[in-house]
Order: sequence, then structure tokens, then C-alpha cells
Amino acid sequence: MNGLENELKQLIIDSLDLEDIGVADIDSQEALFNEGLGLDSIDALELGLAIRKKYNVRIDAEKDDVVKIFASVATLASYIESESARGQNERP
Amino acid sequence: MQQDFVIQQWALWPPLQPDEGRDLARQQALLAGVPKMLQRRLSPLARTVFCAANPCIEGQAAMPAVFSSSHGELAKSLLMLQTLAAGEEISPTAFSLSVHNAIAGLCSMAWQNKLQCTVLAPCEEGMAAAFIEALGLLQEGASQVLLVFYDEPLGNFYPAAPFHLSNGETRALALVIGKSGQGQALALSILPLTGNDGEQAIQLSAFIQFLADTQSQLTLKTPRHSWHFENHGTTS
Repeated sequence: MNGLENELKQLIIDSLDLEDIGVADIDSQEALFNEGLGLDSIDALELGLAIRKKYNVRIDAEKDDVVKIFASVATLASYIESESARGQNERP
Repeated sequence: MQQDFVIQQWALWPPLQPDEGRDLARQQALLAGVPKMLQRRLSPLARTVFCAANPCIEGQAAMPAVFSSSHGELAKSLLMLQTLAAGEEISPTAFSLSVHNAIAGLCSMAWQNKLQCTVLAPCEEGMAAAFIEALGLLQEGASQVLLVFYDEPLGNFYPAAPFHLSNGETRALALVIGKSGQGQALALSILPLTGNDGEQAIQLSAFIQFLADTQSQLTLKTPRHSWHFENHGTTS
């Protein structure tokens, strides 16, 4: 889990141009949006795209509870992990 | 018809005499007030706009703004089209920053300015359209208007000939104008004389020289008519 969380932190830094921030500066439990890291709605879309490209996991604003999934690095990591596992089980 | 107004303040970026080391430090100082989370979204053209406009709004009450750029962030749009053509998904951030009012939006966020903001893309008339818009705002009762002209060279992908679009420079000029006040008094009028002095980016160089050298007049010819600026001297 820790590995995926650190990977996600790096993905957040790279895809959102957070030049002055390092992996160690992001707390896995910290809020990503508004307070906390201070990301905005455009960042959410950009991060969603980066996650789709890297993990082949689609976060659907219509169906999924986006607010909960994007709450922190920890919630994002657990969602990606459960979706990846589900994807593998569904494959014939 | 003649319109009188006063240029109370103006600033351009980059400076007319570039100096790499000094300019970089100056640019950092000019951008220091822009929140970090917004700074990461600034393209080179957006940085140029901020560096010209920030000195003009410093210490001033919030004022409505008119932005004018022939092509805005067209390079971003081209890059997205190429990404789509390659069958890849485009970046939502790049899309949001590619629209013609993107830089004006970043300015309004950085300055917390909720007043009216207009963004024009003039063609062969060049700079005049933004002046007319700003003069209209003054006529409506605004005491000051911020005018920002900016452009970067058009990418090679676009066939620019036979139009006079660019002189190969990235440049921004910001002006604060009012009906009166302290500054340089100008009169703008339209003349029947026709010609072709180029579009905004090319006109901008001539206009900056006009301001910097306090020339007595400047005529910008277009295929339909000319825009004539007359310098009426300094007001106090």
C-alpha cells in the first residue's frame, strides 16, 4: 500500500506541476482539495486522466463518489487497488 | 470624431533593452505576488502579461480590464489538436488554459478582481478595438480602465502570409487609462487614409516607441482607414 501511495504522490506532483513539493511533503491522510494540498477542480480532472493512463482505472463522476475517492492519497490508493483487483477478477 | 483620454500609467514586458540576468530577477519579483498554485499554470505568454500588468495595478483600486491579443494561446490549441490527431486524450488543464480569455481569467483570480473583463481578438484593425472598448467603459462611468495588449509569434504550422501578423517577438503592454488625471494626454481619431501597418503585434512596437519617445503623433494604417493617436502632452 505504501508503495502505491508514494507512486500516487509522485504522479500528483508530476501531472499537476507542483514543482516546489516533494513526495515527503504530502501526507497520505491530508485533504487533496481546497484546504490541505489546495488542489482545484481542474486538478481533479487532470489527476483523473493521469490515473486512467497509468492504472487503467476510470473514475466516473456520474457513478462514483468522487468526493470520497479524491479525499486523500490514502482513499485514492485504496480505490485504485480495489478497482484493479476487481478488473483482474472480471477477466475471463 | 475625436476621443480624449489620459494614459496614467504604462508598463511593458520584456524591457526594450533586454538583460538576461537582471530581467530574470525582475520577472521573479514581478510574479512574487501571484499565488504559488496559480504560478504553476502560467505559460511564458501569461508570465509576460503578468509582468507588464502587475506594475500598473499595484496600489490602484480594482478597475475593469480590456485584454487584446491577436492569437492568444494558439500554440496550446495546436498542441491539443496534434494530441487528438495522435489518438491521445488531451489534458484538461491545457484545455482550460487554451481559451482566449484564459490569461485574463488567471489575472482576475490572482488580483481578486471581480469587475468587468473583456478579451478581444482583433484582426486587421489591431489595437484600436481595445481602445474603443476601454473608452466605452470610461464613458459608462469607470474612472480607470486597465488595457493589456499581448501576443507571441504564431507557430510555423499556420500560413501567415500575406497578413502582417507578427514581428517575431513575445511582448505585452499594459496601460491604465482615464478620462482625466495625471499622465500623458492622448487623442484618438479615425482618418480616411488607408494602407497596411500590420496587425496588433506589429502595431504594438510602433505604439511602444510612440510612448517611450513621447512622439507627437502616430498613425496606424489599415486597409480600410487609419487610427491616429495625437500626444497632447503631460497633464498634472
